[in-house]
Amino acid sequence: MGKIISTLITIVVAVVGSAAVWVGANLVFNQVRRNWSTFRGLVGAIGGFALGALLAGNRVITGTQAGEDPFRLEAFLRWVWLPLLLAAVVGVWFGAVTKIPQDVPRLVISLVLAAAVAIGLGLFVADGYHPALKTVPLIAWTAGGVVLGGIVGTLRRHSPIPGALLGGALGALAGGWGSARIGDGPTVEAIAAFLIPALFVGARVGLPNIPALQQRLVIDRRSRAVIFLGPALLFIFATLVVPTLRTIYLSFLDDSSDSYVGFENYTETFQNPDTWDASQWTDVFTSRLFWIGLVGLALALFFGLKNKAMSGRAVEIGNSTTMPLVIGALFVAFALFSTLRGTISNNLWWVVTVTFLSTALGLAIAVLSDGRKLERTAKSLIFMPMAISLVGASVIWRFMYVARDTSQDQTGLMNALWTSLGKLSTGSGIPTYLIGILLAAFVVWLVVTLARQLTAGNGPAATLAGAAVLLFGWITLRYWGILGEGIGGFAVRDDGGVVAQTVDFPQHQPFNNMWLMVVLIWMQTGFAMVILSAAIKAVPTEYIEAAKMDGATTQQVFWRITVPQIAPTIGVVVTTLIVTVMKVFDIVKVMTNGQFGTQVLANDMYQQAFQFTNSGRGAALAVILFLSVLPVMILNIRRMQKEA
Amino acid sequence: MTTILPSAVPGPSPSDVADPMSTRGGVGDRIYGFLRRIPVAVLWIIVGIWTLPTLGLLINSLRPRDLQRSTGWWKVPGQLGDLTFENYTSVFEASSSAKLTDALLNSLAIAIPATIIPIAVAAFAAYAFAWIDFKGRKWMFIATVSLLAIPLQVALIPLLQLYVNGAHLTLPVLDKTITLIPDLNLAGTTTAVWLTHTGFALPFAIFLLHNYISGLPKDLFEAARIDGANHVTTFVRLVLPLSVPVLAAFAIFQFLWTYNDYLIANTMAGANPDATPMTIRIANLAGDFGANEHLLPAAGFAQAFVPVVVFFALQRYFVRGILAGSVKG
Repeated sequence: MGKIISTLITIVVAVVGSAAVWVGANLVFNQVRRNWSTFRGLVGAIGGFALGALLAGNRVITGTQAGEDPFRLEAFLRWVWLPLLLAAVVGVWFGAVTKIPQDVPRLVISLVLAAAVAIGLGLFVADGYHPALKTVPLIAWTAGGVVLGGIVGTLRRHSPIPGALLGGALGALAGGWGSARIGDGPTVEAIAAFLIPALFVGARVGLPNIPALQQRLVIDRRSRAVIFLGPALLFIFATLVVPTLRTIYLSFLDDSSDSYVGFENYTETFQNPDTWDASQWTDVFTSRLFWIGLVGLALALFFGLKNKAMSGRAVEIGNSTTMPLVIGALFVAFALFSTLRGTISNNLWWVVTVTFLSTALGLAIAVLSDGRKLERTAKSLIFMPMAISLVGASVIWRFMYVARDTSQDQTGLMNALWTSLGKLSTGSGIPTYLIGILLAAFVVWLVVTLARQLTAGNGPAATLAGAAVLLFGWITLRYWGILGEGIGGFAVRDDGGVVAQTVDFPQHQPFNNMWLMVVLIWMQTGFAMVILSAAIKAVPTEYIEAAKMDGATTQQVFWRITVPQIAPTIGVVVTTLIVTVMKVFDIVKVMTNGQFGTQVLANDMYQQAFQFTNSGRGAALAVILFLSVLPVMILNIRRMQKEA
Repeated sequence: MTTILPSAVPGPSPSDVADPMSTRGGVGDRIYGFLRRIPVAVLWIIVGIWTLPTLGLLINSLRPRDLQRSTGWWKVPGQLGDLTFENYTSVFEASSSAKLTDALLNSLAIAIPATIIPIAVAAFAAYAFAWIDFKGRKWMFIATVSLLAIPLQVALIPLLQLYVNGAHLTLPVLDKTITLIPDLNLAGTTTAVWLTHTGFALPFAIFLLHNYISGLPKDLFEAARIDGANHVTTFVRLVLPLSVPVLAAFAIFQFLWTYNDYLIANTMAGANPDATPMTIRIANLAGDFGANEHLLPAAGFAQAFVPVVVFFALQRYFVRGILAGSVKG
């Protein structure tokens, strides 16, 4: 109960407080037009409060003690009186003085009030904070401020005097407090250190200064721009701009940010075998994926040459070259990523796999569901994982991947399927033969389809059918024990007996990476599908009707009209996915925490910075991450600006 | 529309020309029909595969500990009598580390301010960029939008340092350090988390709202000005009511983003068990595989409940928000 109330209070304070500041600022500047002296008074009050808070915060005047929560009530009361008092005094000073019509009394009264404030402050300077003034720097800084302020005023085509006075005040503050040795000066010097800048401000306020209505309207308008933009710019500077610059700076310092180490953090990162390890690269030649991929590429070459001879173009979206080319390249890439280990290779693997499969699956589902019965239900169900958190999705898939001792029932779906497949293919009951016959029938059907597509000269469909024949034919051969022992999760004991064997999906290197990617593909396919589906529905029906009139088949319509029409949208999906995938963190953190060869950049950065407290390495990794998404983001932003 | 035309015209329709098979009768027709139906079957198989993991979690969350540990969730048809809400009650009421009630409140204490405040702040800024005339407007807008390119990881280390130590500026020539922002003890609070979310959301929010607000008709603003409305009145009375669709789309996107976030919350508040949101609790629960493993499905489903309800109830806005959010870095 108490927790609910304190949560509510936090929310209300945050929201109402922010709103109050904004409305308050608008009310202050509403006074510019009608009531200049009230405006001046309010500005003075705000300035006084800020000065008081700065002094109390830096403990120049009795305030909070070190290490104390400044918002605990007792501590709060101990320091808040000063900003409030200063706000009241300075507010009255600014407001009242502006109301006095005669020049000389106004100036005199303003100077007297300024002196009073300064002497008051000087008397209450806390022990250990009395400045021992140095005359030369004080005078030099003050004179410098006066000259600089005057020049700025002249350049802005105003009178130089107000600017010079303000510059003098700032210069005196900097020269007085900045150059002095803080600690053991006499009280008189503390008073002087406040008095000199105060007198400049007093003179500035005492000047004849009620601007003309025209000028006030300008102030009014400009102030609105500042008020409307101020909060946003403040947040952006505090949480984005300054921290980013600081991260770049930190990446050149050592682990405790004490000394400059040049590019050491970067070189260490790249030389670390956890980041990039190519020592096993020759394994690629024993990888089955690699050789399948090469076959695919060879096929692509063959079809490419044939197509080149026929239509003059080797590669064209949707012709027979595309499918083996894409599949071949993908398999070769998988083979390479599985032998080149390390964070960089993992990240690239993620990008290639998740981006390609999510986009392809999303496109396929968008096409399959288009115009079907219950289209919206189907799409809702596929899109739903998008609403679940990455942590939640990881938990869901953890349960899918659970592997238990083979003496017990499997509780994870994947291992249950895998071990029962192994049992089925090595067994000898009726179900075994039934499934085997069904598999064989399916392969026969695939072969028939392949033959029909070949005779119809339908390149892409034939390649797809061919790939399916190879895949399912191999599975069937293994299932029947013609090629090897069988298929699925089983192991043969020394005595010839067969026992179940599970796969520990998140730990089985190096393809555990792909099982982690499945989680993100599961989530992002819905995203790709929704966006591509909207794009497909936006393709003008006239184009499709016209193509059908000319006798185009459904496939031709799809590859020659729909795909080129939605190509820009595919680009959007791909670039967005690349950025998302480059920054993948939650899944790896929850599933393996980067162990078992699944480390990625974002998790490495998190561990270095927040677990090993090596802020230099962490910052360097953050910068590397930044630079690697930068090109894609630039592309994205330029596209967005064109659209806007 | 064009599909109505052929029926009015005698003779073969274009669709018949495109699918010559459909005009044949008998066996060929049936085979064609069978082939046509295959993609639908494939679609529903995919839908089934996509739904299974979530369904499994839901079923497991309702099964008592012993069943979860002994059999798979797909054996539930024989165990219907054993289903129970026990896991949910223990997740929300137990005094153990798995207690989720506080974590849910923390999640809301992060997500609600992190949704409302960026909307307000970004709406002000978007209005200023669109309809207030000031010097440097264009390049400031471009600079703001360019900040979309910064991944949030880049800002995490300095932000945590800021929340832990405050901000101090060492004046270059004078060699004196002054405190700009004192140590406000923000590290390990929900406030630090939503402050961070607010900052990171702004470039995207400003871009999105600016697109919409700058597209409002210019005549409206001129009429308002002639009627004597100042910028504040125009903004509150005119721009806000007209921008409700885009505000809703962004609100849903941002709410889900912040409610589901793990990285920022774990960095800023992960060390303080009193301030951790649901996602961290669940990740921690998943981390210590052991006594509480059977509570994980219930906890996971409880966390997913809010976004899934938002998703099904406000799907149209949700999709719009995701579409708009697709440009976010």
